[in-house]
Amino acid sequence: MRRIGLTAILASLLTIAAARADTIRIGAILPLTGPGALIGTQQMRGIQFAIDQANAKGGVHGNKIEVVFEDNQAKPDQSILSFNKLTDLEHLQVIFTAYSGPSLAMAPLATRKKVLLINAGAQADKLATASPYLINTLPTIGDEIAVITKYVTGEGKKKGVILFENDAAGISGRDDYLDAYPKAGGTVVAQEPTQFGQTDFRPALLKLADAKPDVMLVSITAALDNMAQQYKQLGLTFTVAGTTFFQDPDVIKDPAAEGFVHTQIRIEAPAELAAEFKQKFGVEMEFFVRQYYNASQIVMTAMDRLLTDGQPITGENMHDIIFKIRKFQGLIPLEFRTNTATVPLDINMMHDGKDVTIKKMSTD
Amino acid sequence: MLALQLLCNGLATGCALGVVAVTFSLVYSTTKLFHVAHAGVFTLGGYLAWSLTSRGAPFLLAFVVAIAVCAATGALIQALLYARLERRHATHLVILIASLGMLAVMQNIIAAVYTPNILQFTLPWASQVVAGGGSVRLTVIQVLIVAASVAAYGGLMWFAHHTILGKQMRAVASNPFLAEITRLRPRRVHVYVMAIASAVVSVPGVLVPVDLGLQPYNGVTPLLTATIAMIAGGVGSITGAFVLAIAIAELQNLSLLIIPGEWSIGITFFIFLIFMLFRPTGLFAAVR
Repeated sequence: MRRIGLTAILASLLTIAAARADTIRIGAILPLTGPGALIGTQQMRGIQFAIDQANAKGGVHGNKIEVVFEDNQAKPDQSILSFNKLTDLEHLQVIFTAYSGPSLAMAPLATRKKVLLINAGAQADKLATASPYLINTLPTIGDEIAVITKYVTGEGKKKGVILFENDAAGISGRDDYLDAYPKAGGTVVAQEPTQFGQTDFRPALLKLADAKPDVMLVSITAALDNMAQQYKQLGLTFTVAGTTFFQDPDVIKDPAAEGFVHTQIRIEAPAELAAEFKQKFGVEMEFFVRQYYNASQIVMTAMDRLLTDGQPITGENMHDIIFKIRKFQGLIPLEFRTNTATVPLDINMMHDGKDVTIKKMSTD
Repeated sequence: MLALQLLCNGLATGCALGVVAVTFSLVYSTTKLFHVAHAGVFTLGGYLAWSLTSRGAPFLLAFVVAIAVCAATGALIQALLYARLERRHATHLVILIASLGMLAVMQNIIAAVYTPNILQFTLPWASQVVAGGGSVRLTVIQVLIVAASVAAYGGLMWFAHHTILGKQMRAVASNPFLAEITRLRPRRVHVYVMAIASAVVSVPGVLVPVDLGLQPYNGVTPLLTATIAMIAGGVGSITGAFVLAIAIAELQNLSLLIIPGEWSIGITFFIFLIFMLFRPTGLFAAVR
């Protein structure tokens, strides 16, 4: 009888241990091929690096984490197929997302299925309200524009013109400037569109320069280097201001961009962590690697808290616990008062081929 | 002063477009083919020159190599694609579709070999500002584009009127049947025409990306404008295509003085639509 009792206890302990050592599976729908593959690969590496580190230390609450990656080629329709696959077939409750179009396409499904979407790469304003189950760990473009317009008007540059791309993202940025700049005390005196991918900015720059502005507020996502060179060639002297999109290494090292100012999400990796990443992947720990590494830390912190509280990991529970924890300290301190985190933002100025922080601000 | 600067920028853009229009017109008037893949040859020239200069080759050498390779590419497209289709009695619509396919293939290969992203030449001399009159500022490369384009246009006109091959080209364009029976060998002339047009279009194909950067798909818009210039200038008129391309570029630039930029392209082409209603044969139709 005693032997049977011991066996039963041992079996129970093994069952508990086995249950505790379950593998928690999460998803990531990212552009791993196509034009967005460069960024998508950085995002994938950020997640994988964070998960590998956690697993090497025993996982989350004794559970190993596994990520199922799906390639959406940055396409909304493909993203929906991937989302349905991960939720219906794989029964995943937490999924990383990127790019505004795909994230906005998946948002209604996330609401319906109560699956948590974590975005650490897209910045369209609509993402802020697209779904209660879409959590953004970086600010929207509108948040950044509110900060940069506050900065430039504070510097006395109150007569502004807007250069924007004539597409959804560019027009959204233009509208944000039209809203935020007057609120910050400035006046928009002219605006000129360009086409996405267009590299001849001279006519638009000349027309904007004719309005004799103090500052040109920019909402373009491509060919920024061409714009900088033509600005210099035309001998223009007004301030050029933008958002995190300005963080292009080719633009920063170009002398033509001397004096350009922009908001920059402050997210730095400690030297040891960056070195470990470089050793593992053979490349630098770029911006989107850091963003998704940070987002993975948030997800694992929330999971750990749920498991500690004895709650199952569901999209709904994950959503609630993130707002309960509210303040996270990963690579950057951030706080969730809404679905979009409040994060520290720097004002950077391009000077001597470097992007120098000249002021520390916040999206708050 | 804004108007003068816009005028000068329009001239540089228009001259480059003019060469595309002239070469496209040359191919069309001689072969009667709508050679859409011309946009691919235009793009190829820039990428070839970029490859060589980024590996340390002198720009002039890269320029010459790009012209030679583009000439060979044009000749091969004619000999291996269009001529074969014609021998099989393919209609012009079928050849147009083949040309579109060729363009897609070229663009995709370029995007795969290089990148779909914008590539820049690193030639500091090109972006240096040349002092113009008053406050007009033009870069070295813009001035070079104007000079090279005018030279290309002038050279092509001289070639067409003062060389035996040029006269053969005009004869084939004028009456292919007569050219055939008088042993002018139109098919061989077609290959020469394609080679010459491809070589000449690679002049702006190289110079424009030095100014504005390279993209795999950036040959299509110039070709569209060039096609309109060719039709509005009068099909078959080299001068008409060149002048109308400059006029379109100037209209697009100068229209900014009175209308917002987003209306510029629409209004420019609306003006041409009206123009074509009154003169459907084109401006220079009678002066060939």
